[in-house]
Amino acid sequence: MCLGIPMQVTAVHGFIAHCEAKGVTRDVSLFLMQEEPVAPGDFIMVHVGYAIQKMTPQEARSAWELYDEMLGLGKEAPQGA
Amino acid sequence: MSADAKTWLERIHRLPLRERVRVMNVCGGHERSITMAGLRGALPANIELIPGPGCPVCVCPEEDVYEAIQLALNEDLILVAFGDMLRVPVNVKKADIRSLEQAKAAGADIRPIASPAEAARIARDNPERPVVFFAAGFETTTAPVAALLAEGTPDNLLLLLSGRLTWPAVAMLLDSEQPGFEALIAPGHVATIMGPEEWQFVVDDHGLPAAVAGFTPVSLLAALYSVLRQHLEGRRFLDNCYPELVRPGGNVAARRVLAQTMDVASATWRGVGSIPDSGFVLNADFRHQDVHQHLPRYRDDARKRAGEMPPGCDCARVVLGKIYPNECKIYGKACTPRTPIGPCMVSDEGACRIWWAGGIREAISPGRYTVPAE
Ligand code: SF4
Repeated sequence: MCLGIPMQVTAVHGFIAHCEAKGVTRDVSLFLMQEEPVAPGDFIMVHVGYAIQKMTPQEARSAWELYDEMLGLGKEAPQGA
Repeated sequence: MSADAKTWLERIHRLPLRERVRVMNVCGGHERSITMAGLRGALPANIELIPGPGCPVCVCPEEDVYEAIQLALNEDLILVAFGDMLRVPVNVKKADIRSLEQAKAAGADIRPIASPAEAARIARDNPERPVVFFAAGFETTTAPVAALLAEGTPDNLLLLLSGRLTWPAVAMLLDSEQPGFEALIAPGHVATIMGPEEWQFVVDDHGLPAAVAGFTPVSLLAALYSVLRQHLEGRRFLDNCYPELVRPGGNVAARRVLAQTMDVASATWRGVGSIPDSGFVLNADFRHQDVHQHLPRYRDDARKRAGEMPPGCDCARVVLGKIYPNECKIYGKACTPRTPIGPCMVSDEGACRIWWAGGIREAISPGRYTVPAE
């Protein structure tokens, strides 16, 4: 649960940000980002549907590379095999 | 592995370290990265990476899970919980319902959710029925739960809150006679929320090297290099190897909503017992949303084996980093992700589950501290 997923903000309406990552879109709460304004184009670290911090595009990319690797590994070692 | 990660590995190999150094991590996400990237096999043999208390689902009190099952079975309500919680087994007689998943199969209205916001939506869509949100998690999950409360929730949303703080479990280990580690890698997203300062006690009170890490192999290896160098040179400081997200003071808004909605109190960890200052409880302003205020009769701490791990399961020692997952006698035998005996094999953040997903298939003889071949 603590891993978090980086997403890019496409639009902001109040405390809700429409976000996108790898073709998947989600509404994310910005309630925990009140001290740090979030705008379209920003990258955020999302945890159980809530943004917990802003991040740079490079950081988002390296986090996504990590997930791709893990997902690839997951396929090689199916759970419960 | 990236070129940057290889560079860090080379640096670690060049350190003139002869003795065994055990480095604990306290985050299922860290353990997943370490295992999936095969870092243990790539490190010098005298450096051990020990998974510690990093799985909130694993330490969620057995009596809380039991209570959630009984609520869902006996009351006309909707119970929502993070998906990981549904398969966690409780200690009941063979014929009895032993997980939320089984209760759901028996007809109880139990719905897995991925975000606290979904709990509020389900409550709004079902105004005539109570919706109980069974919220287990560390600070990273409990802060969003606090946000949900602070933002305002429908009246029919009640909480069964099993939120836990991570650092008190480490403090308890360090206060014990045999902590079992010489350095700490602190959890990146817990520190993002609460601030890195929470971990300063490891350095100041216990004289151990510590570094906050993110989740990529590069960040984890940088943190490992930092604590090993500190160990070698006799210097001690709290390093921050995840400065992109971990800022001094943490996430101010998150800490504010936590303080606004919850108090911190002693709390039970499954298989471990009570740890001071380790649990979140709803404060006086939000206590009316505590399920215990409305339906107190489903709590039964007096059950035989209440609070313990399932019989034969060594999760308690796995959680505290006393043994590696594959030192449990039934790892990979009676206990696999398909037939999990203990919560450490159920949760995505459980060390047993992660090691199994990482391809570690062999149980090893108990008591041996051996880095498994990867
Ligand atoms: S292998 Fe299974 S039974 Fe053994 S400690 Fe892990 S979860 Fe518990």
